[in-house]
Amino acid sequence: MYVQIEGLDFSYEKNEPVIQGVSFSMQEGEIVAVLGSSGSGKSTLLRLLSGLEVPNEGKIMIDEKMLCNRQQFVSCEKRNVGMVFQDYALFPHMNVEKNIAFGLKGYSKDAKKKRIETMLKLVNMVEKQHAYPHELSGGQQQRIALARALAPEPSILLLDEPFSNLDADLKMRIRQELRTIMKQTQMTSIFVTHDYDDAKAIADRIVFLENGQIKYEETL
Amino acid sequence: MRFLAVIKPRLHIFSIISIIASLLIILPLLQIVFGLFTPASDAWIHIRTHLLRGYLFNTMILIIAVAILSTSIGLFTAFVVTRFEFKGRQLLSWTLILPLAIPSYIAAYIYVDMMSYTGTFSRFFRAIFNAEHGINIMNMPGAILLFSLTLYPYVYMFSKSALEKQSASYEENARLLGAYKFRIFWRVILPLLRPALVAGTLLVVLETLNDYGVVEYLNIRVFSFAIFDAWFRLGDTAAAIRLSGVLMLVVFVIIFIERVLRGKKRYYMHVKNRPIKRVSLRGFRRVVYPGVLLLILSFGFLFPVLQLLYYARLTFFDVMNMAFVYLVINSVSIALMATLIIVFLAVMLANFGRKHDHILKRGLLKITNLGYAIPGAVIAIAVMLFFIDIDHRLYPIYRFFNPETRRLILTSSLLMLLFAYVLRFMAIGFNAIEAAYDKIGMKFTEASYSLKQTKLKTLLKVDVPLIQGGLVTAFIIVFIDVIKELPLTLILRPTNYDTLASSVYRYAREEMIQESAVPSLVIIVIASILIYWLTHRKKKVVSKDVRTN
Repeated sequence: MYVQIEGLDFSYEKNEPVIQGVSFSMQEGEIVAVLGSSGSGKSTLLRLLSGLEVPNEGKIMIDEKMLCNRQQFVSCEKRNVGMVFQDYALFPHMNVEKNIAFGLKGYSKDAKKKRIETMLKLVNMVEKQHAYPHELSGGQQQRIALARALAPEPSILLLDEPFSNLDADLKMRIRQELRTIMKQTQMTSIFVTHDYDDAKAIADRIVFLENGQIKYEETL
Repeated sequence: MRFLAVIKPRLHIFSIISIIASLLIILPLLQIVFGLFTPASDAWIHIRTHLLRGYLFNTMILIIAVAILSTSIGLFTAFVVTRFEFKGRQLLSWTLILPLAIPSYIAAYIYVDMMSYTGTFSRFFRAIFNAEHGINIMNMPGAILLFSLTLYPYVYMFSKSALEKQSASYEENARLLGAYKFRIFWRVILPLLRPALVAGTLLVVLETLNDYGVVEYLNIRVFSFAIFDAWFRLGDTAAAIRLSGVLMLVVFVIIFIERVLRGKKRYYMHVKNRPIKRVSLRGFRRVVYPGVLLLILSFGFLFPVLQLLYYARLTFFDVMNMAFVYLVINSVSIALMATLIIVFLAVMLANFGRKHDHILKRGLLKITNLGYAIPGAVIAIAVMLFFIDIDHRLYPIYRFFNPETRRLILTSSLLMLLFAYVLRFMAIGFNAIEAAYDKIGMKFTEASYSLKQTKLKTLLKVDVPLIQGGLVTAFIIVFIDVIKELPLTLILRPTNYDTLASSVYRYAREEMIQESAVPSLVIIVIASILIYWLTHRKKKVVSKDVRTN
């Protein structure tokens, strides 16, 4: 299995468990939607996978690399996990090109340029290369956020409520686009949502999360 | 192993530097706490039996009266410049902050001089009203007035900012519900202003408790006076420590009462912010309101500065020499060093505290920022005892390198003064930077981490450009405070090391007020320029809601 998560437990300070014994696995290239209402722990699950939070217990293994267990913890910046934030978190003081280049560590100047071009073509935003985030529409910002996350070739892509900031029309169009891009890149992806239609439109499998526990799964 | 797996991700540049800095700040303060448990000396028994009640009474009278007066002035001025439109409003709206550029002790020296029998004000009053005597301000009412005139800008700044952000919806709703202006002010505007008023007033109270220059000059027997008296005149450190302990208790009681009174009330809600339209002043108000503001500005800034300028003209060539140039260099360089250290540590601490994920971390941050609440006299004692202790412990090492060495190396160095500045002003730097971090939230930093960037690179490439407004604010406020600072400088500076503040104090003690004008003006000019910069620089707003559709 490409992704293996076992017995993940997490609580914030008040000792109220947010994630309890979550286990699931994924195959390479699979897209999994984590579906749950607000407060169900779905965003926390993504933060645990990305290394932004430290679990109390449990194991996370991606591409045969142990990221977290009782003995070790690989920090966020070393995990090679891409993430698209709910409100995209594009750096407002950098233009599109610089935002995408930001994660391209160890690339030569030419390779960096090429990669940025590829990413902009992928998300169909070549003409916005020099624009600043505030000059982009919500949908455009989302595409740039996706390009930025994909640029460093992460081992897995995490998306936190990627459609929550888009209006209904745009959402319908973008989610199809998103699935196409994800399938085109064969990126193993987990995205969290509270909308069943979003999950159904994009994912290969849906994991239902309730009170920090997986209730059941549905393969589409 | 499990312990390591939990600790390791939390050990990074920010946490390590923050923990070391916090411990260094906590240790001297513990000296005061431990000092309270040493056997009582005769001097302490004398102070407790005969003097303590008087010190407490005077301190309470002073802080309560200063709080009331400066809050009234600050609130009135802020309300007028934010709610009314009149000629000169924009100029007044920032010049009303300028009294903050005048340290209270300089205001005291110059006002006592102006009010003395031969002083400018007394001569003026004699000419107009045929009054016989000078006006005596070397008493409690005089101190209250001086503190209020120089410290009201704290309340003014907080209230002005809060009033500008208040949404018109609240007032419009109150009017629709049948409330008149007076009722709206008392029931809507004032309660919503409470956090700002409390924050401003608390700073005024803490600054008043911190002062030594004014109360010593006017001979007002309050706590900071008593601590210095016990320490230097009676030579009893133990008694000074006990007095410091009582003063710290007073400060904590004040902060505790505020917290209790605040209770569970909230003063903010996410409402669509519609700015309030300023009303043009008409009739007699058109003259009276700006006139009162100008009067406040004149007494708080213009009159003392004009008098200082006049004295500076008389004494400029007597004072201006190489020694004076060194004095300016000393002041600016130590203020710069202290400010840079504070801003650097504040960035580390703010980063460390961005995720309040542990009660210990929260406690550590609270204690690290305690310094501003602790008066200079107390910090001076704490730091000096701490450094003497370190010197004693390091003495064998000093001797190893130099058998003829002095016992107190660090205690007689500039390091001790720098350390005390950091301890005292850390909270100011920290609060400005924390506020800037609060505005941008965690998402940009986390996005950078998710793009495989290290903590340091994220700080330099993402955080610093986004919080640069907060960094500049922190830098300016801390710099102004350090360059004005007196009690710590006076006690902890190395022998023969003078700053502008200490030289002003020395001249004033020797009744050479005219000669103190030039160094006083240099402090005031530097602080005024920085205040101008602070109020006029273009703000780049990057908020949590930076995303625009």
